[in-house]
Amino acid sequence: MVRRLSSLLTFVVVSVVVLVLAVLLSFAAGIRASLKSSGHPENILVLKSGATAESTSILSPDEVNRMVQTPGVANSTTGELLISPELCVQTSIPRQGSGAMANVAIRGVEPMAFEVHPEVRIVAGRCFEPGVLEAVVGKAASERFSGLQVGSLVQLGRLNNQVFEVVGIFEAGGNAFESEIWTARTTLASSYDRRYISSVAMRIESPAAVPTSLDYINGPAVRLQAKTELNYYEELSSKTREIVLLSSVLIFIMGIGAVFAVANTMHAAVDSRRREIAMLRTLGFSRRSIGLAFWFESLIICLLACGCGLAGSMAFSGTKQDFLSDATWTVLAYQLQVTPDIALTAIILAVTVGTLGAVLPAWRASRVPILEALRKA
Amino acid sequence: MVSIDIELHDVRKVYYKSTLAIPVLEGIDLQIAAGEFVVFMGPSGSGKSTLLHLLGGLDQPTSGSIRIGADYLEQMSETELTRWRSHHVGFIFQMYHLVPVLTAAENVELPLLLFELSSRERRQRVELALSVVGLAERMEHRPSQLSGGQEQRVAIARAIVTDPDLILADEPTGDLDAKTSTEILELLQLLNRDFGKTILMVTHDPKAASYGRRILHLEKGILHRDETNQPIHTSR
Repeated sequence: MVRRLSSLLTFVVVSVVVLVLAVLLSFAAGIRASLKSSGHPENILVLKSGATAESTSILSPDEVNRMVQTPGVANSTTGELLISPELCVQTSIPRQGSGAMANVAIRGVEPMAFEVHPEVRIVAGRCFEPGVLEAVVGKAASERFSGLQVGSLVQLGRLNNQVFEVVGIFEAGGNAFESEIWTARTTLASSYDRRYISSVAMRIESPAAVPTSLDYINGPAVRLQAKTELNYYEELSSKTREIVLLSSVLIFIMGIGAVFAVANTMHAAVDSRRREIAMLRTLGFSRRSIGLAFWFESLIICLLACGCGLAGSMAFSGTKQDFLSDATWTVLAYQLQVTPDIALTAIILAVTVGTLGAVLPAWRASRVPILEALRKA
Repeated sequence: MVSIDIELHDVRKVYYKSTLAIPVLEGIDLQIAAGEFVVFMGPSGSGKSTLLHLLGGLDQPTSGSIRIGADYLEQMSETELTRWRSHHVGFIFQMYHLVPVLTAAENVELPLLLFELSSRERRQRVELALSVVGLAERMEHRPSQLSGGQEQRVAIARAIVTDPDLILADEPTGDLDAKTSTEILELLQLLNRDFGKTILMVTHDPKAASYGRRILHLEKGILHRDETNQPIHTSR
């Protein structure tokens, strides 16, 4: 009875450790997935030299004009260069439910933006019209913030005195754009009194031509900072490294506790089975096979607990969350994802805990003195 | 199966309690022929169980030689002795030592896991061993569902399932009532008489000893008397 309770507690401890590990890593995986899917391999993002994000980048119209000569830029079906100058500002909007204010990015774009970012498509309502105080809202932003539904009016502008109407909702394959508000660049520039743009996104003909294009923009002809969108969003996902690091420290500490729990249970198993062990040794079972049997028992407990923990974490998978990007100071929405990599990490953790916890008890079991154990029976 | 004879030469065993030496066996010389049913008797502390453990390869003598068939046990390593036990010896204990969570058949099957046998072969051997001890109908019962005598029969089936040359029984009836003891002793006698097993049994009980063909009396670690006995209980 005592052993059953001890085994059950060990099972619970390992399950909880795996659950925490899986959930924490699924945060990181969700953020990484959201940001990674924001970049297209043939898209280049141009920022001011030294800027780390669009929010800190200022490009003048002259600088934008110099980019027109960039080699390898793709053309639209109508023969126009696929270059999208974009203006990024931010505003505070209350969250749904709590009402707490959070920063949301507003992107001012031209019609060309929808060709450079073809994943962006209107799924409800319609697109904004230039020159009118209208905006479309990303699906994630619409779900997580108040007053960002079709037909809602939202106060934007430098003095927060311009009332924009939300006329549509867009999806963007779950990427970072879905956490933004989009409107016409000229309208946004006027509302926020901005005479410059923040960034330029351009589509290159092929991935092979991308290095040449980057060299041109980074070189003396343009003297700006260009990087692929994939790289840009990869750098923005630095937050995930912090989460992974924090998770590692937390799981390491919890893992030590789990190892002790497993060791305690297995020591109790050895103590209560000394007679059985001695009998098996008498029959001809080797020390090695006895030790391995206890190791396998520990692994079975830990792997079953791992399965339970992972099953529990699946309940969180798909949950929508958001985080404040320390690069853009805007909120980005993402979905928790329990990926195969996370499941594999959890299994490795369970095997490690099961092995470390079993080492000493298994060694003790293999060293049970046969005659003494039989006599004490 | 080839029966093996046993020869002990000047076997001594000394246990140490910190610096204090406690001699348990003091120069045992003994020959046992293949197929004998030998009973070791003597008061507590006479060394009879220690001698049985040495003969079963569970312990090593402090000095002297133990030859069983062609094998000299004192020259074997721990690993070699473990392997030797699995191939040559069947043990029967006073307390049965069955695994409570396994069925009778699974308990009997345990020693066979050390041999390269298919599950079908193992099953056949288990059924044969349990039918020899009269428990073919109780194969799927757990120890808690069996009487003491039945548990000891399962232990005997476990001891014979690998068809060992030698069966060592340490007070096999010590925990049983008179009627059940008789059944167990008759079973051992059957294994000796009809299956040719060499049986070495330790007991305090003169009635149990009367089932053996040879009775060795130990006293203070010395072989005191060696008697030939005419077993009177041959009901099977």
